[in-house]
Amino acid sequence: MIRVVLVDDHELFRAGVRGELGAAVEIAGEAGSVAEAVPLIRELDPDVVLLDVHLPDGGGEGVIAAVAPERPGVKFLALSVSDAAEDVIGVIRAGARGYVTKTISSEELTDAVQRVADGDAVFSPRLAGFVLDAFREGARVGDDAELENLTPREREVLQLIARGYRYKEIAARLHLSVKTVEAHVSSVLRKLQLSSRAELTRWAHERRLI
Amino acid sequence: MTQIPVLPFERSGHDRVLAGVCGGLASTLGVDATLVRLVFALLALAGGAGILLYFALWVYDDGRRTWPAAALVAAAAVSLLLALGFSGTAVLGSGLIVAGFAVVLTRGGSVRQGGSLPVLAIVLMMAGALTVLGHIGTSRSFIGPGAVAGALLLVLGPWFWQLRRERVERIRLEERAEVAARIHDSVLQTLALIQRHSQDAARVSAVARRQERELRRWLYGSGVGAAVTLADGLADAAADVEDLYGVRIELATAGDLPLDESLEPLVLAAREAMTNAAKFSAADEISVYLEADGENVAVFVHDRGVGFDRASVPADRRGLAESIEGRMRRSGGTAAVTSAPGAGTEVELTLPRSRR
Repeated sequence: MIRVVLVDDHELFRAGVRGELGAAVEIAGEAGSVAEAVPLIRELDPDVVLLDVHLPDGGGEGVIAAVAPERPGVKFLALSVSDAAEDVIGVIRAGARGYVTKTISSEELTDAVQRVADGDAVFSPRLAGFVLDAFREGARVGDDAELENLTPREREVLQLIARGYRYKEIAARLHLSVKTVEAHVSSVLRKLQLSSRAELTRWAHERRLI
Repeated sequence: MTQIPVLPFERSGHDRVLAGVCGGLASTLGVDATLVRLVFALLALAGGAGILLYFALWVYDDGRRTWPAAALVAAAAVSLLLALGFSGTAVLGSGLIVAGFAVVLTRGGSVRQGGSLPVLAIVLMMAGALTVLGHIGTSRSFIGPGAVAGALLLVLGPWFWQLRRERVERIRLEERAEVAARIHDSVLQTLALIQRHSQDAARVSAVARRQERELRRWLYGSGVGAAVTLADGLADAAADVEDLYGVRIELATAGDLPLDESLEPLVLAAREAMTNAAKFSAADEISVYLEADGENVAVFVHDRGVGFDRASVPADRRGLAESIEGRMRRSGGTAAVTSAPGAGTEVELTLPRSRR
């Protein structure tokens, strides 16, 4: 069974997630702050950490930065009510394998945890929208053009995610296998994390000013 | 027949040298009577114009004898112009034009829709124009086309007014359709909700209060409200639909635009699409995606619900045809609905950005 650590400062929310996921995964531990979470994750070495983007003593980014180098096997899935692009992009850039909103259904959350544990990427519609916006068409060709731009297929997959389609539905629509869809999303995640374009960060910050 | 505006003028009963005309005019204009008398004396030197004008005002007598007064004023003008050295032909020409206008004024002719100018007025003005033009030496090759152009203008003028009126009428009908769609989206929906929940007093009261707020804001306020960007507007709409129907709406955006009037139909159509999904799809979650790129603004409203067959939608359900498709068409955009029984529904709304 997949071992999961919950990091969220809202006790009530943790209880809810525990109730929803309890049957499908093993909740190995819970933390309500960065200070609690870092030693706990180091000690438990779980498969997946469900990580709130906003924590009282820092963001989910801080947890990832402190843990990831020592525990490369731990996968992070960001979970947030935040609508702010810089938070979402920030936590993904720090190393999270996906981002879902807290309104996600328990069935979908279970599926997302499973997917992240398997090494795939999980994009919520909101994250897909942010990424499409950040990697706008006609973006300049930088040092590494392959990393700076999305392929038309990746764009297509992301757009369908943003429109609320599931991987299986996207695969059927585009006549691809689910594995191929997952590969496209993972490729986008890699570009998101490795792209050196300063624009990405600037975009995320400027977006708040609109 | 148009009434010639009456000049509020009465001869003075006390400040009089001859008939009290100068005194009366002075008090009407609020100037010194001596100044008025001086002007009349100077005008009298100009071919007797001042004397004729004096008599004109005398007989005018506060609008009681308009026509003799007008004739005398015309005579005064003619003698003044002649005295100033204008040739008889020029005076005759301009006199004819003025007479043409006078006919229009008194006969009530109009260049507005459905109206036409009295033939007499057209003839007088054309004759006057020809006289003046001929006198100042314009070549005949110019006068001919000029006369034709003038005649065309006078004949076609009313026709153009007619066209304009029809356009105004069309705009009015479109606005009416917009109002009808709006009422359907809001008031009729609320009334339907109230009927369905008539046992639940708290709910009914909340729904009614909310509708009142909305209607007030639409009638007297800023229309779309406090939202500044299109994404805000969609978020507000989504919150409303979530409140009303207890569904969950996930909003994703790529790009955004400042919310202005041209985007309002898009927000309203999207709202209606969300409402339809909430009411009929039986899905508990609706996805809304806004994409604003260089050329188009697109909004996708997608649910994974029961779907429907377009052919089986009753004709009296205005939501889809009017509030979504009609509204997008009127604002220069398009609406595409993809649905099939059991396969969910997606409504794609697009608006070309160049129209903004």
